Amino acid sequence: MKLIFTIAWRNILRHKGKSLVIGVILFTGAFLMTVGNGVISGMAAGIEKNIINGFMGDLVLMSDAQKSDNILMNMMGSSIEPITTYKDIKGILAAQPYIKNFLPVGKNLAMLLDESASAPGYAYLLGVDFTEYRKMFPDNFTVIEGSYPAPGQRALLIPTFARDEFYDFYNIWFLPEGGGLIKENLKKEALANIKTLVVSTSVVMMGMTSGINTTTDIRFPVTGIVKFGALNQIFGHFCLVDIESYRECLGYFTASDMAGQVPKEEKKLLNLEGADLDSLFGGEAMLVADTKKAPRIKLVPVGTAKLAEDGVYNAVFIKLNPGVTYKDALKKLNKALAEGKTGVRAVTWNAASGPIGGMALIIKGALFLFVSLLFCVAVIIIVNTLTMAALERASEIGMMRAIGAHKTFIAGMFIGETAILSAVFGGAGIVAGIVTVRIIPLLKITTANDMLQLLYGGNYFHPLLSISGVALTALQLLFVTIIAALYPMRVAAHITPLDAISRD
Amino acid sequence: MNIIEIKDLKKDYPLGATIVPALRGVNLAVAEGDFMSIIGPSGSGKTTLLNIIGCIDLATSGSVKVAGREITALSDRQITEIRLNKIGFIFQTFNLIPVLNVMENIEFPLLLMKRPAAEVRKRAEKLVEEVGLKEHVKHRPSELSGGQRQRVAIARALITNPGIVLADEPTANLDSVTGASILELMKRMNELEKTTFIFSTHDANVLKYARRIVKIKDGSIEQEPVPA
Repeated sequence: MKLIFTIAWRNILRHKGKSLVIGVILFTGAFLMTVGNGVISGMAAGIEKNIINGFMGDLVLMSDAQKSDNILMNMMGSSIEPITTYKDIKGILAAQPYIKNFLPVGKNLAMLLDESASAPGYAYLLGVDFTEYRKMFPDNFTVIEGSYPAPGQRALLIPTFARDEFYDFYNIWFLPEGGGLIKENLKKEALANIKTLVVSTSVVMMGMTSGINTTTDIRFPVTGIVKFGALNQIFGHFCLVDIESYRECLGYFTASDMAGQVPKEEKKLLNLEGADLDSLFGGEAMLVADTKKAPRIKLVPVGTAKLAEDGVYNAVFIKLNPGVTYKDALKKLNKALAEGKTGVRAVTWNAASGPIGGMALIIKGALFLFVSLLFCVAVIIIVNTLTMAALERASEIGMMRAIGAHKTFIAGMFIGETAILSAVFGGAGIVAGIVTVRIIPLLKITTANDMLQLLYGGNYFHPLLSISGVALTALQLLFVTIIAALYPMRVAAHITPLDAISRD
Repeated sequence: MNIIEIKDLKKDYPLGATIVPALRGVNLAVAEGDFMSIIGPSGSGKTTLLNIIGCIDLATSGSVKVAGREITALSDRQITEIRLNKIGFIFQTFNLIPVLNVMENIEFPLLLMKRPAAEVRKRAEKLVEEVGLKEHVKHRPSELSGGQRQRVAIARALITNPGIVLADEPTANLDSVTGASILELMKRMNELEKTTFIFSTHDANVLKYARRIVKIKDGSIEQEPVPA
């Protein structure tokens, strides 16, 4: 082994030019791979952190009747099944020591109504108790226009991303009640058409669930315009409404209904009470809702928090205490929920977020593919250079074989050369990559660009390298070394003593 | 006792659609400890014969026994083992490993055999002294003259105590004085180490060193001239 490495090392020094070419390729590859892994890890960690801390927590409860775990950005029209047992669920969740806090929410799709538009637009609604929401996600968004709803207030908060989309669809610029036009916040196209800009301080929405098309169109007064601190392009799809308005919009029983002590057997029948019966006779009825008549339901103050808890929800977001593993928490929680006959199940945020969790994976895959392609090119160049080196040294290799060196010795010599180059240059590349990954966060690179925020995993570029990340890069480098050395090694090992003599 | 026994050895080289016979039924026996020269003009087949004896090339037909072992049907691994343990080589162009110094080049075959370092160094030092390169042990081949390189090759060929040392035109690239000194050295080593030496040449001056001369022409052994 010592002999192999001695010859390999001296050959590297002897063929400095070739060694340097291979070395630079290995350095660049290892550097980019390390930084790439750092970016991937940082992005994954950022998305995870922002989703967990700023949007849906670690775990999500949903109805057992819910077919797909993905409840966040599900396909149009597929509604999220209601949860009617929150009072029982709350007791169970409160008794779990590993749970930090939790928040019940309503989440479904609503149709935006405007008679001037040829087809209705859509919005994701997140029905929450605003006071509880702030406790669960204290700093996830900033109110940039209007104000945060007061406890018990009927309210609608529109994220900037959703407002831009609504403008694209309806050419209406939504403003909070009592708020003025702020030019800096205008979308570029809206600013260009500012003289003819149509503004509105309320949105008419009609809830959509697959079970019940309520045609209960409600005019929501816009309370505020918000911007999420990170991933506004994802979270900005969701308009936040108070839970009671949400329930009314979706045609669910509200807490007020429940407070009326309606017997369970009558709930189903009563559920049609607020519906527009015309709509039962065809889909067209939904598309021609007269928004000027809205609201058909008078929005009364929500009332107490206790009343809000009595109504229907679609999900419960749960944050876990630090150090608790998802596997353990899911096992214990699902057992408790099943024993309590609550009719709900718990899944991880990743499963519940569907395409968002997948998006992290897709970007991760794309970056990985990019770096892999880079390594493929590196492998091809290294293979070429080493093969040329093997053929140039045919006489020397053939002589070694003639005096008794086995094929394995020759192969080992080539592996040794590539291994030394990988260790020296690849190792330097990894170290440079680690240093770069450490330096980048200190530069405080931020972005308001939504797409870049996805890559950053937030609004702050923060690549992250764990020991396992570095180990992964080293493994990838080892793989590249072996792959790059295989063919030249084979060529070298197949050089015969006769080749050496004939070349003389 | 014969260390090499060759019977009806034939070697053909395909050259496009034509077959070129390099050896046409050679029969030869070489006694242990001999100092034999194979002579003949260029293209006569002497290098081919040496290559087959040295397990570097394969025979087309016939039988070749080296140190009592038939070598015509062995695997690459077995052939390599025979080359390592039984045969030493001295090539025309002083084939040394350019990145190793004199001492390391000499030690190389023993290191391949994974012999203990102390034993390897002791044997190499002895041979370095015998071939007169004690002052040059740290030199790389590129820092040596042609004659010095050939001395290194001789020491390397002998370090494993092989039964046979094959030398293909060992003096071809040397001036006459250096060539003569190399042959003197080979002969001295033959006497000292009791190793069988077979060397090819087309230089008539070399013949005076040989105890036995085999003349080859057009792939066949013609006669065995009496050494001068």
